[in-house]
Amino acid sequence: MKIAELRKEKVELKQHYANLEDHYAEAVEEAKDRAEEATKTTLKAAMRTLQGLASEQQLAISKLQETYGEHKILQDLLDIDHMNSQFARRAQSIAVLCDGWLGRRRQDASLYDVVRSAKGRIRHFTRVEIRSQSHFGIVSRAVEPVALVLAELLDNATSYSAPETVIEINIRPVPKGVCIVVDDAGVGMNEEEKARAARLLSSENSASVSSLGNPPQFGFTVIGVLAARYGFSVSVDSTSPYGGVRAVVLLPDDLLTSLHEPEESPAVAASTPLPPENPPGQTADVASRGYRGPVPSAPAAPPAPAAAPAEPETTAGGLPKRRRRGAISIVPAEAENDRTPARDSAKAASVMGAFQRGTQSGRRSTNASSEGHEVQ
Amino acid sequence: MTTDDEPELEQEAAELVRPYVITNGRDLLDDQQFSLITLVTVHPEPPRTKPLDPERLGVLDLCSGGFLSIAEIAGHTRLPVGVVKILVSDLVHEGHLCSRAPVPSAQLVDRQILEEVLNGLQARFG
Repeated sequence: MKIAELRKEKVELKQHYANLEDHYAEAVEEAKDRAEEATKTTLKAAMRTLQGLASEQQLAISKLQETYGEHKILQDLLDIDHMNSQFARRAQSIAVLCDGWLGRRRQDASLYDVVRSAKGRIRHFTRVEIRSQSHFGIVSRAVEPVALVLAELLDNATSYSAPETVIEINIRPVPKGVCIVVDDAGVGMNEEEKARAARLLSSENSASVSSLGNPPQFGFTVIGVLAARYGFSVSVDSTSPYGGVRAVVLLPDDLLTSLHEPEESPAVAASTPLPPENPPGQTADVASRGYRGPVPSAPAAPPAPAAAPAEPETTAGGLPKRRRRGAISIVPAEAENDRTPARDSAKAASVMGAFQRGTQSGRRSTNASSEGHEVQ
Repeated sequence: MTTDDEPELEQEAAELVRPYVITNGRDLLDDQQFSLITLVTVHPEPPRTKPLDPERLGVLDLCSGGFLSIAEIAGHTRLPVGVVKILVSDLVHEGHLCSRAPVPSAQLVDRQILEEVLNGLQARFG
């Protein structure tokens, strides 16, 4: 009788103890989550400031590079630009781990440019060789994420391979979209490392700032978060032809866009008024070299449907947007010169007219508000 | 997760492809080779090479209408002059472009020679 009572009491105590333990674990878990959240919020705000400063600095460096383009100091400015890009990438990666944003580009970009942008964000970028160009573009919202993911993959590839080896990038269209293949000639990964990478790259994993290890390894975590957020996939489980790691980024169709021709604005047509100056043979040369757009000597070419007159010609910061311009050449080609050594007066007038329009257009381009609105 | 609430960059971002990537990290050229007023134009018989970068194609496109100076190319492409020189140098070496040294400015003739000529003419006809 007594024994039965004691037994009952023991069971009750055990139950009570288990409950307490559960509560305790819950409380600890909750505290951890709260701490994680607080850390993320703080870091996110801090990184936002750093990201803003880095992009401000990049603009400043761009201006300096244009101003001192002839000066020896340009070499240093190019180096500083490179350092700034790496710095911006670090800030972006941490922001991603803290559920922050990368900042969204306003325009679609060509896949080739996005790959080159990624290349510029790592230290040993000269070891990266891009073996193929492509006619695909990436929609504006995915430009920064894809560039950052590629930069992290390239950073890994350069870190885990010998300094004299090359990292190769190939772009391959596949039925589901486009693959960007990154091959290194490094030591590769063992099964354990592959499993860890696959876990971090899978979308189920949620990023945690406090479990990155020491020294922190955030590459794969950042890639996993971005791939899940923007709907593309990254795998690193195959071996490259050189025995290292082959990383494959598969971009689905909805992140891609076909690359249209650079916008040709009326300003361009107006600034290239000398079709006869261009011997037909030369335009054909350019076309045969792979230039796909309308050559400047053919202003009558159908306007590219891409030309978007509604788009602002200047940026929010008041900077003129870069646009492709036709050549304003006042020196005729050599062949032309041989045939007609003396210009008749009408031609001279037309040349002078071209010169004047050229200088006007040049002057106007410094005046941001009027660029692109000229009507002749 | 939707990304529609993502803020745009507050200010226009700088160019996506940085100039040091376009040159692939190469050192700037000596100033001896090309000057601001060196003129270049497309080669009449372009070589067959692998596809060129968009920037290099852009330079060829600009030069297709006749001779253009390095300074003008830099102005149109909005690339730093030093970077344009590297691109042009590559294109010249590969045979896509040919360059022409700027026309040298007239040399100032020695004053003494002019005086001697003047004296000679005066002695003869004056």
